[in-house]
Amino acid sequence: MAQPTLIDNDASESPARPELQHQDAFEQAIAALPDQPDWLIERRQKAWDAFQTLPLPSRKDEQWRFATLNRNVLNQIVPGNGVDAETADRLASRSSFIADHAGQYVFADNQLIDSTPLDPELAEKGVRFVNLETALRDHTDLIEPIFLQAQAELGSEKFVALHKALVTNGTFLFVPRGVEMSKPVVAVYWSSAASTAVFPHTLILAEDNTSVNLVDIFLSDNPEAAGFACSMANIHGGANSRVMRKVVQDWNENTFSFQNDLTIAERDSVVKNVAVNIGALKSRYENMCRIVGPGADVKMYSLTVGEKHQEFDQRTLQVHEAPHATSDLLYKNSLMDECRTIFSGLIVVDDEAQQTDAYQTNRNLLLDHTAEANSLPGLEIKANDVKCSHGATTARLEEEELFYLMARGIPERTAKRLLVFGFFEEIIEKVSNQELAEKIRDIVHHKFTRHQA
Amino acid sequence: MSNQLEIKHLNASIEGKAILNNLNLTLPQGEVHAIMGPNGTGKSTLAKVLAGHEDYEVDGGEVLMNGENILEMEPDEISRAGLFLAFQYPMEIAGVSIANFIRAALQARLDEGEELNATQYYKELYEKMDLLKIDRKFTSRSVNEGFSGGEKKRCEILQMSMLNPNYCIMDETDSGLDIDALRVVANGVNLMRGADRGFLVITHYQRLLEYIVPDVVHVMFNGSIVKTGGPELAKELEERGYGWLEAEAAVTA
Amino acid sequence: MSAEAETLSQIDRDKGNFHYETDYAYDAGVGLTPEVVDYIASVKDEDEWVREFRQKALKVFEKKPMPTHWASEDLNNIVFENIRYYLAKGQQPTRSWDEVPDDVKETFERLGIPENERKFLAGVEAQFDSEAAYSRMKEELEKEGVIFVGSTEGLMKHPDIFRKFFGKVIPIGDNKFSALNSAVFSGGSFIYVPPGVKVRQPLQAYFRINAENFGQFERTLIIADEGAEVTYMEGCTAPKFETSTLHSAVVELVALKNAKIQYITVQNWSDNVFNLVTKRAMAEEGAEVKWIDCNIGSRLTMKYPGVILKGDGARGEVLSIALASDGQHQDTGAKMIHQANNTSSNVISKSISVGEGRATYRGRVHMPKELSNCKNNTECDALLINTNSKTDTYPAITVTGEGNSVQHEASVSKVSAEQIFYMMSRGLDEGQAMSLAVNGFINDLTRHFPMEYSVELKRLIDLEMEGSVG
Repeated sequence: MAQPTLIDNDASESPARPELQHQDAFEQAIAALPDQPDWLIERRQKAWDAFQTLPLPSRKDEQWRFATLNRNVLNQIVPGNGVDAETADRLASRSSFIADHAGQYVFADNQLIDSTPLDPELAEKGVRFVNLETALRDHTDLIEPIFLQAQAELGSEKFVALHKALVTNGTFLFVPRGVEMSKPVVAVYWSSAASTAVFPHTLILAEDNTSVNLVDIFLSDNPEAAGFACSMANIHGGANSRVMRKVVQDWNENTFSFQNDLTIAERDSVVKNVAVNIGALKSRYENMCRIVGPGADVKMYSLTVGEKHQEFDQRTLQVHEAPHATSDLLYKNSLMDECRTIFSGLIVVDDEAQQTDAYQTNRNLLLDHTAEANSLPGLEIKANDVKCSHGATTARLEEEELFYLMARGIPERTAKRLLVFGFFEEIIEKVSNQELAEKIRDIVHHKFTRHQA
Repeated sequence: MSNQLEIKHLNASIEGKAILNNLNLTLPQGEVHAIMGPNGTGKSTLAKVLAGHEDYEVDGGEVLMNGENILEMEPDEISRAGLFLAFQYPMEIAGVSIANFIRAALQARLDEGEELNATQYYKELYEKMDLLKIDRKFTSRSVNEGFSGGEKKRCEILQMSMLNPNYCIMDETDSGLDIDALRVVANGVNLMRGADRGFLVITHYQRLLEYIVPDVVHVMFNGSIVKTGGPELAKELEERGYGWLEAEAAVTA
Repeated sequence: MSAEAETLSQIDRDKGNFHYETDYAYDAGVGLTPEVVDYIASVKDEDEWVREFRQKALKVFEKKPMPTHWASEDLNNIVFENIRYYLAKGQQPTRSWDEVPDDVKETFERLGIPENERKFLAGVEAQFDSEAAYSRMKEELEKEGVIFVGSTEGLMKHPDIFRKFFGKVIPIGDNKFSALNSAVFSGGSFIYVPPGVKVRQPLQAYFRINAENFGQFERTLIIADEGAEVTYMEGCTAPKFETSTLHSAVVELVALKNAKIQYITVQNWSDNVFNLVTKRAMAEEGAEVKWIDCNIGSRLTMKYPGVILKGDGARGEVLSIALASDGQHQDTGAKMIHQANNTSSNVISKSISVGEGRATYRGRVHMPKELSNCKNNTECDALLINTNSKTDTYPAITVTGEGNSVQHEASVSKVSAEQIFYMMSRGLDEGQAMSLAVNGFINDLTRHFPMEYSVELKRLIDLEMEGSVG
């Protein structure tokens, strides 16, 4: 397979901006956030040191088995530094992804370009949905214990360190004890200028007995410009909280995307993370959940629609540290053209975590014979009173099903489309927000239909 | 005194919670006793304690089976000594066929070096299966796996008749059975009645007792036997419900 | 217990745990050097190409790191410098038990080998440390052109056919331990079944480690020519020494067009043996290879039998059972490498972890994009008994191509206290209840095994279970 390289189609970029790996990139990132507390500077300095020391992962690393990582992935990329007013206006006007929301932030190349204030009723009850700058100014005490504290465990240590060192914007959602929100808050992240890096950041702190709903959307301004995205989302589900987080990754297909999500689930919490993956040339998505309280229930769902030379590299970890908890993972990938997917999942059940129910399923639908699906579903069980299972299947559309539909007079193309959409639907319906589900349906259907044409 | 099952001043608890409270009951061989009572009163606990379940703590009293205290014994020793528990919720054992399971249980009753006569065994097994209207194909199915509620209960009765116990404890054997299945099960039990066997039929409903007519009916409440009488007591309970027990218990307390 | 079962009951852990002092005429000494490798080649009077093969393999072995980045750290406890790599009495394998030296004969008699031979085997080879002590096959098979000899003898007497396939299925550098075996191999079986010959009864090899600090490195090569069929069984034991022992075999199977090979292992090494074995088969058009692999003993077993499905319509199967008791790690699995259209593979793995035992499944299924209509089905189920047991599952599956499909299912379950109580309330003691549950767990697999082996396996499991409850 030809090794796709970054397309540098905007050579006129100001030479003053340092590349990702230069010390100046770090200095500028530190300077970008005013009034940073010492603890934060310390954390970011540590991360920067780690980023510079850690080697770029290679396929020989067990955690990068089957992955193709371009050795130049970090070269000739500069940290995104905002957009001009005209671009900001243009992107803001294209950001109404979900109309019925409780508050929205829009960022472009790491700069806040638009916001709709949080529903006053929620604000009154103490809910906070703010960008990082505000969070650091007004809620230091809340975020200090958790901000940039998550560690990568699935191989992306270097990229997580990069994120921690260079992140300058993102959102913090705080929901105080007992407060329930129904409509989601939304964060839209744009990548605009070519060869720039964006660092979306999501921090959710849900206190006890809350209900929380957040949507992240990743988009590219220019469908061709080379991009680099390195995001992090940390979700803290307090006791008996219900947290729902959805993320739609639709960068353009010249983007290298590194996504690192961590969920911590306390006693009796129900945390659901739904990821829809459409874009990026290469997407590395590490998704971990750590169940620390008994009775918690974590769900991790993902839908990927890949085409051309896209590569979706998914690594998941479900760690059960407390008893009586449940986790359920379902990753569905549909593959067209020369697309590759790698699903590597691991369930770890600690010896303390008796009466665990943990499931992990990976379903790959091969739509072209040139596509390649890799599955590495893993279990590590140290407790004995558990119910755990994993399953992985890879197949093309069922001939019998296709025949059944065609025998009803449906043309083959339509029949295929119906079956493929049916494959997608199992995840899309888990989004449980009509408007968002409809948007996702549009995007994935469009992508598939375009391919079929 | 031998040839009877004597439960004397039995106190038992689970995880520190007292369930059985100074329970007394004597079941002679040759008789059928019923225990009735509202849910949560300790009926199933009594069954599990008799069979030697380790989750239950015996806090006092004794259970003498033909004069021998069985409370100190392991579940398998109790079983081999002649007590059979028909479970309310029989366990599923994957990959172990009914035929092999019962055979292993019978083999465990023989002296070391002694082999079960396979021909004789299958002959008897099939006879009893016919009696209980169990399809012979069932012998190769895994114990209780994928069985309906009625099939599970019939399988319990099949084991009971094959193992030939002196005392049969039947824990809510009627729950979840339709009337046809109930008749089959009751018929199986009635055929096993005899001078050398005692039955303790635990049930919430009087319905079963129309088919298995007891000699004695005990009423259990809050972990004790609060009333004992003849079959007519069951009918009375059916008509009046269990509510009056509470009032009565309050008076005697 | 049936008569067959009685005859097989010699291979339990305690039965193998005895040891006779033996004098060795040839001893390569302790440690691994080019001189030791030369010594082995000289003692065996090997051709120059074999000597070069060995020396090359030694270099590969030295260069390759221990695979501890994915495998158990316990591998680091193998001290290669302390191991003796070749020990032999200098005898040629005899065709008659009477000619086998007394101490060696006594060992095999105690293990019941001559008796089994009479009862149900078509041929037997018995290896004592580095070399075969006895090797014999029924005369009619010899007349049909079947070759069943020790690999040392095979290399000497049938060099053409041996060399044609030797090292072709498992190259030297496949892994660190295949390289080690390639450098110091000795013993093992060489089998050739001519076209169309179907060997009805199994051929059996028996491997015995007798000496302390000794490494056994047998090399087995089985070739079933077009339309031929053969079943091969191996058993192994060693006494329990103070120090650990290394067993590192390489087994290559070649099933030519429409041939069938079934390879059965009941591994019951004592629990201080590192058992690091590379087993792979090549299946040509329409051929069928089945590995039946039962791992009961050893301290650490690493073994992933594989089939390279090289010809159209070839079939590969791995049925494996692992029982990991206290202090044991059974790290087993299967590899199915599809290289032709319409090939199918099936893997069923059942593991049982008892006490502090640990069972790991690793799998590899590969279907490249130029292929069509290939199928794989994999099931791995783990059963846990006691709170400290552990189980891991790490399959890796790659699928592309037209109409290829893969299905992988794995589950972990346990024997519940309620199940045990239920069985005990029918009069079974705890050990019996436990082995009934365990045998129930593997039943749907063992019923596909030859009778002698499923009976033997059941008996070994009963023994393990009785020891596991206290």
